[in-house]
Amino acid sequence: MPKLTIDGMNIEVPAGTTLLQAAQQLGIYIPRYCYHPKLSVAGNCRMCLVEIEKSPKLVTACSTEAAEGMAVSTAGEKVKKARRDVLEYLLINHPLDCPVCDQAGECGLQDYYMEHSLQKSRFAADDKVLRQKRRAVGPHLILDNERCILCTRCVRFCAEVTKTAELEVMERADHSFIDLKEGRALDNGYSLNIADLCPVGAFTSRDFRFKQRVWFLKKTPTICLGCATGCQIEAQHNRNAVYRLVPRPNAETNTWLCDYGRMTYKAVQAGDRLEKAMIRRGLIDIEPALREAATRLDEFKGAAAVLGSPWLSVEDNAALARLARESLKTAAYCFDHTAEQGIKDGILINKDPAPNTAGLKKVKAAAGGLSLEEFTALLAGGKVKVLVAEAKAYGLVKAAAAAAGVRLVIFALNRGDAPASAHALLPYASYFETPGTFINYQGLRRATAPAVEPPQGVKPLWAVVNKLASYSGAELHLDSPAAALKDINF
Amino acid sequence: MENILLRNNISRLEEYFACGGYKPLKKALGLKPAEIIAEVKRSNLRGRGGAGFPAGLKWSFIPPGPDGQKYLVCNADEGEPGTFKDRELLRANPHALIEGMAIAAYAIGAAHGYIYIRGEFAAEAAHLNAAIAGARAKGFLGKNILGSGFNFELFVHRGAGAYICGEETALLESLEGFKGQPRLKPPFPALKGLFGSPTVINNVETLAAVPSIIDKGGDWYAALGTAKSGGTKLFSVSGPVARPGVYELPLGTAFSELLETHCGGMKPGKKLKAVIPGGSSTPVLTAAEAMALKLDYESLAAAGSMLGSGGVIMIDDSQCMVKLLQVLARFYHHESCGQCTPCREGCGWIEKVLNRLEEGGGTPGDIDLLYSVAEGMTGRTICALADAMAMPVMSFITKFRGEFEAHAAGKVCGK
Repeated sequence: MPKLTIDGMNIEVPAGTTLLQAAQQLGIYIPRYCYHPKLSVAGNCRMCLVEIEKSPKLVTACSTEAAEGMAVSTAGEKVKKARRDVLEYLLINHPLDCPVCDQAGECGLQDYYMEHSLQKSRFAADDKVLRQKRRAVGPHLILDNERCILCTRCVRFCAEVTKTAELEVMERADHSFIDLKEGRALDNGYSLNIADLCPVGAFTSRDFRFKQRVWFLKKTPTICLGCATGCQIEAQHNRNAVYRLVPRPNAETNTWLCDYGRMTYKAVQAGDRLEKAMIRRGLIDIEPALREAATRLDEFKGAAAVLGSPWLSVEDNAALARLARESLKTAAYCFDHTAEQGIKDGILINKDPAPNTAGLKKVKAAAGGLSLEEFTALLAGGKVKVLVAEAKAYGLVKAAAAAAGVRLVIFALNRGDAPASAHALLPYASYFETPGTFINYQGLRRATAPAVEPPQGVKPLWAVVNKLASYSGAELHLDSPAAALKDINF
Repeated sequence: MENILLRNNISRLEEYFACGGYKPLKKALGLKPAEIIAEVKRSNLRGRGGAGFPAGLKWSFIPPGPDGQKYLVCNADEGEPGTFKDRELLRANPHALIEGMAIAAYAIGAAHGYIYIRGEFAAEAAHLNAAIAGARAKGFLGKNILGSGFNFELFVHRGAGAYICGEETALLESLEGFKGQPRLKPPFPALKGLFGSPTVINNVETLAAVPSIIDKGGDWYAALGTAKSGGTKLFSVSGPVARPGVYELPLGTAFSELLETHCGGMKPGKKLKAVIPGGSSTPVLTAAEAMALKLDYESLAAAGSMLGSGGVIMIDDSQCMVKLLQVLARFYHHESCGQCTPCREGCGWIEKVLNRLEEGGGTPGDIDLLYSVAEGMTGRTICALADAMAMPVMSFITKFRGEFEAHAAGKVCGK
């Protein structure tokens, strides 16, 4: 355990700790471009140079390991000069097109220039090295080589994380540039992480490009519901619209976020988002639709069934369970879903595409009910006349229900998700719009946080269930998500 | 003094053998590896590639003992402008290198060796391969060398034409089949080198000196040079002298002797103005400084320059220093690998400023700008290429500022 001082402060760190990491433990931030805690050390940007007493040359903090008795300075004049110089070198061939660059506002060049340089350029502006401007390099990314500072984070990400190695530094010297290997496209399922990793505006997201200036974005920490992994994310939004999802790196689950997960916000704002209810394909207001659905449930009391969903929160499933037991008073309900859990690609994507298989088990433990096989057999048997289900979960029993001609009351976010044959489609608030409890494949209980408001009149699913129950004559008294969780033991 | 390395009629195996060749190998195989390393340390043999690191000390960094894969690599990627002595050595005396490598490999416990030869040296590579085949046929390479039980295989690998691959870790990257870019150090090659194994990388001239050291002893070799730098050194002399070429001289020889005696002085009508003493990256000296100097590592360091690779570039007073520096800048700009920010951007910037100075479009401020761009590159990068650009810039400006000022005031060469 070497003991050293950094800017006069004492610290003892495990052997192998780099100066950059040791400084970070002391709360000293050393500027860096090429360094990333989850990628190999490249040591090429030279931004993290620090001074070690008695050492003639500055050393890179990212690659130099702490040693006993070292006296490190991160703020001396030599270090400051080196940072100014590196920034000047980085900026001489940079196009300085900040006004039209998406990275502006979260750009490593802008931020460090303001903090460490503020020098006037000594470079003739008409003498820059010109490189290829914007071009698509895959379904999600645009590459602008002129803005690139050649830190190689993108190259290392593709080589080390996705292990697909699409990118390479071509050529040498100041004519070198990042490019795709011949015949390749950047489509590895995780490519948008490169837009995050890129400290400048070289890689930008095709989806996000020119939609918002980043300083207008508000940030809501929430979780991704793209699969059972349950990555921690941040929804970035403005004026009631989500613009992008980015990972919130954490030790338990994720550093990155997959491209599929990043696009999950789009359904919420899609053109087919259900903002009203539908009865037999006709769009009507939610209130009359609920009355109509309640009438059908009353009509078939004793022949109604309820199916829970691993795509819904614990709260919403618990409300459905109470609908079945307390309002419809039926034994034909099922909160059973089994799927193999675990990361299937070695990175983040889960074998289980549903976000709350583990949470659904908690509802089953509290409410009981049929197994999925029993429930499917029951539907196929023809005794069930009306089924209340969420659209994606309905897919699990679709064949049996369709064959038996069961009348469907379906909760759906998007019309595209719902069966065309549904008698009633009921909208509900997505988990970007309402809090919900989910349990991921690791058994970690996490909650979504609302980033935006649901469409006018659209309520959380538990609240819609509460109303449905009251219209069919049995009050559930659900007035909050917490009330729905009453019987659930986590 | 008799030459050790560059001798006539020694390039064929039978000629080399007739002169006592491969006897040192037999002698070495009878010694313990540690004894060989001690002998080389005693010889004060310093690396001839440019950095001048003591060879015996370098070998001693390799973990001793027979365990594990180790490699010996010969750096024959001679690319420093003004340097052409390894090529001469490969042509004239390839077996000294082969024998030296076999001895060095035995000393460090390496079973495999590579000669990384500059891609343009196609004829030399063929010549070397033929020499290796001959040595192998006689049992000086391969399995159970001279019945000693020591195995050593030697391969020639041709580079693909990058100056940076002469930097030892870039050389290893290239040898492994990757883009030639210097590696971050530590770890140094002695611990993690070729294919992740302990590796010694030595210059052609360094390794070729080893058989004589084993044959005649370290003390004999050390006595040829100065107190701290043993032996002889090859000097590649270019420029307007009567007899340019490669000269083998004891370290510590006076520069004036090299110029006047060996090279026959300047060509008629030419007057020496400046000397780049050790390859293009070493700081330039004025004629007066050079004429007072001895050619060895310590004397040149004391004079603010370096012995480097021994590439002595003579510059006469008809040459424009701005033009010469422009040529150098074009070279380093082209050859920078582009990894480190200061080198990647700085080399190009320097060339641009020199272009406008040379063409008459510069300003007086450009001279200080050049100096400060070079200063900002110095000592801030993974390898020494940035320094190799910066040192000539700073020394040219310091010693010949008047010529730069004339250009800044509008002078254009040849007009």
